Amino acid sequence: MNDRVIIRFEHVTKQYDDDPPVLDDVSFEMERGKFYTLLGPSGCGKTTILRLIAGFIEPTKGNIYFNGKLMNGVPANKRQVNTVFQDYALFPHLNVFENVAFGLRIKNLDKKTIETKVREALRFVNLEGYENREIHEMSGGQRQRVAIARAIVNEPEVLLLDEPLSALDLKLRTEMQYELRELQRRLGITFIFVTHDQEEALAMSDEIFVLNKGKIEQRGTPKDIYDEPINRFVADFIGESNIIPGKMLADFSVEFAGKQFECVDHGFEPNEPVDIVIRPEDLEITTREQGKLQVRVDSILFRGVHYELCCYDDNGNEWLVHSTKKAEVGEEIGLYFEPEAIHVMRRVETKENRGGER
Amino acid sequence: MRKKLKISHLYLIVVFLILYTPIFYLIYYSFNSSGTMHHFEGFTLDWYKEVFADTRLLIIVLNTIVIALFSAAISTIIGVFGALAIYYAKRKQIKNALLTLNNVLIVSPDVIIGASFLILFTIVGIQLGFTSVLLSHIAFSVPIVVLMVLPKLQEMSPTLVDAARDLGANSWDVLTKVILPYITPGIFAGFFMALTYSLDDFAVTFFVTGNGFSTLSVEIYSRARQGISLSINALSTLLFLFTITLVIGYYFITQRSQRSSAVGGRK
Amino acid sequence: MSGTTKNYSRYLYAIPYASWMLLFVIAPIILIFYYSFFDIEGHLTLDNYKRFLTPVYLRMTISSFWYAFLITAFSLLIAYPTAYLLTKTKHKQLWLLLIILPTWVNLLLKVYAFLGIFGTYGLVNAFFETIGIGTKQLLFTDFSFVFVSVYIFIPFMILPIFNALEKLNPSLVDAAQDLGASSWTTFRRVIFPLTLDGVKAGCQAVFIPSLSLFMITRLIAGNRVITLGTAVEQHFLVTQDWGMGATIAVFLIIAMALIMIVTGNRKWGVKQ
Repeated sequence: MNDRVIIRFEHVTKQYDDDPPVLDDVSFEMERGKFYTLLGPSGCGKTTILRLIAGFIEPTKGNIYFNGKLMNGVPANKRQVNTVFQDYALFPHLNVFENVAFGLRIKNLDKKTIETKVREALRFVNLEGYENREIHEMSGGQRQRVAIARAIVNEPEVLLLDEPLSALDLKLRTEMQYELRELQRRLGITFIFVTHDQEEALAMSDEIFVLNKGKIEQRGTPKDIYDEPINRFVADFIGESNIIPGKMLADFSVEFAGKQFECVDHGFEPNEPVDIVIRPEDLEITTREQGKLQVRVDSILFRGVHYELCCYDDNGNEWLVHSTKKAEVGEEIGLYFEPEAIHVMRRVETKENRGGER
Repeated sequence: MRKKLKISHLYLIVVFLILYTPIFYLIYYSFNSSGTMHHFEGFTLDWYKEVFADTRLLIIVLNTIVIALFSAAISTIIGVFGALAIYYAKRKQIKNALLTLNNVLIVSPDVIIGASFLILFTIVGIQLGFTSVLLSHIAFSVPIVVLMVLPKLQEMSPTLVDAARDLGANSWDVLTKVILPYITPGIFAGFFMALTYSLDDFAVTFFVTGNGFSTLSVEIYSRARQGISLSINALSTLLFLFTITLVIGYYFITQRSQRSSAVGGRK
Repeated sequence: MSGTTKNYSRYLYAIPYASWMLLFVIAPIILIFYYSFFDIEGHLTLDNYKRFLTPVYLRMTISSFWYAFLITAFSLLIAYPTAYLLTKTKHKQLWLLLIILPTWVNLLLKVYAFLGIFGTYGLVNAFFETIGIGTKQLLFTDFSFVFVSVYIFIPFMILPIFNALEKLNPSLVDAAQDLGASSWTTFRRVIFPLTLDGVKAGCQAVFIPSLSLFMITRLIAGNRVITLGTAVEQHFLVTQDWGMGATIAVFLIIAMALIMIVTGNRKWGVKQ
């Protein structure tokens, strides 16, 4: 067995009573020292995976391995993982030092070691000198760091992060994204990060798992997932995109919006129905004559970096365009795009798609 | 607008006046030398002297305090376990059933509690007296403690327990290092409530106390039935002062718990 | 999953509480029912129930409920405006504490005080004398019983209503007024319906105990047995007819359960 693998799920299902399973026959492996992100809408099962790894819940079916050892039935307090909780779960009756020292005191380490380790952990998260603060005196971002320090002081092999940035404001969130990524590099341990924010996932991860309805839709590097979404759900979830129904005429030739286009995809059945994805930033505004598509501008929003145009073609398809150029509402314009910008997805539902996944 | 405000203030003043008149009426006449609750003759402290010279009364006061402290302490322990049991009950129906049974004694009229306990003690063969009074006070204080502790447990974020387990704590550690410290204000409030319920109770005690044993409430009742005696007034003044001290103590405890709950809520 | 013995030991801590529940909640209720089927000589009989259905007890039942109703109604009438005005004061927590404070004074002492206040030469009659009405017999009347009971219960009515009013989102009142409602309409259509839970809780906290106020009737209403509570006390402690006392208690328990169901679905609160 590959000894870089640290966590392995084997046909894991989690089901409560007779409700549909929150996790449905999921299998995967995670490697040592990488930054993983579990991404998906609420209720997709991402937090369930985290809680299964932490040991707060047990799988209904299937096995979970940690370093090759079966973890089923091992309680949370006996596992070599630590968690940073969404609401931080800092103990309000203990100060910063005692919060961080909690796990070490449970292990009955001697006073001196605890002191050294806590200080080191606090330095790691840039909170030196805050030892004697009460939790309620700390800001949101500082509490976040205390929570991280409290987890990493126990030297876990895997750190689980359950939407830890969701309670922070936008600016702080972006800062913390960098810090977390940096922290993971410095510690060299595995981070498993749960989020519903695709930008966060794209910015931080070595690898992303996109989940939906208790199943893994796609796993891959941020670039893979962004550029090559495997189906409509992933494309829709990762960033804004134009998803248009079409037909694969032959290799390198696809039809949609009533026209035929050159593309880079191949290996489909002739005339196979497909979904076409074109990212809004891959569409360029030109004149009606130069454009590959002719559309009418319906509305326009200024988004700071770019304008967001909502246009309709003659077949009634909606086209979202991100452009630094401005157009007038009601104006007839042309849209240009490279063949590489067209991404063709099979229409067939997810299950068979996954067969082709590595 | 101004006039409306005045009327509303007047109303409040009248209500407060009515609420406090009897209490100050009692206190006022406790200094009356004529021995009646009308016609203030002259200032005297004789009634207070009488109270302090009355060894029987002092023993009763002591009994009352001992019963209150013991019953409050024991019912707090049982009540905290009870609150934990309700908190940990997994199924909703069980939780609701436990809560309903818990509250039976709180909503029951005192005479029914008293009468049913009287039957119970007679059947079990517990002699009426200290033990029966203590047991009844524990019995009716337990649900109060549960109701003071349970909200604290429910307001505690469940991730706190997860976090403690995640950091290696076993069930005992979770209880002693996380849950109990967290609900401490609720436990104090529960203890305090139990204390006041016990000190205040008359009806239940009246049913289950035998001939030899008496608490302050029962004693006041039997003396009041014999008519007015200003030593009761003197006693009530002393009790009122004692109550105010307790209230101030309680006030500080709840203030503290409010502050810490505000902390828990600010996330 | 992890062994049944381990699962059982997890419930060990609940044993004291469970025994309390069994001994002091469930057993007493059963015992009351059980005793209601025995007469004073210890024979199994339904006589107690027959006796309860005679005019003497039926009249007592009706008067009990009538008194309880009067006490509840007057308490509500006085308590609602008080609670409402309290929410408008500046230091409302302090005022609230002052409302609660008298409840911590032993109930019997307060009742005892009225022996003096309502006495022939007491405060009220002295007042009547000065305004020229003349001395009235106040003690040992129904009026004094209801008045003292209302006095005792007012704080228990104010508290839940105050809490309900405090929970009321003030912008709802603004919204009602913004939509053109007059103060009265705002009160009738918005404030009162939204504080109904508090009113219900208060009525429960007053109505049920006022069915059983034997000490007030004994001290203030002239030692007459006019309520079911007094009758229970009478049978248990004076005539020693436990069976009859238990029968009356059964009816009180049933009445109580019905009231709980009618005013139901409130969150359980503590009396004080």
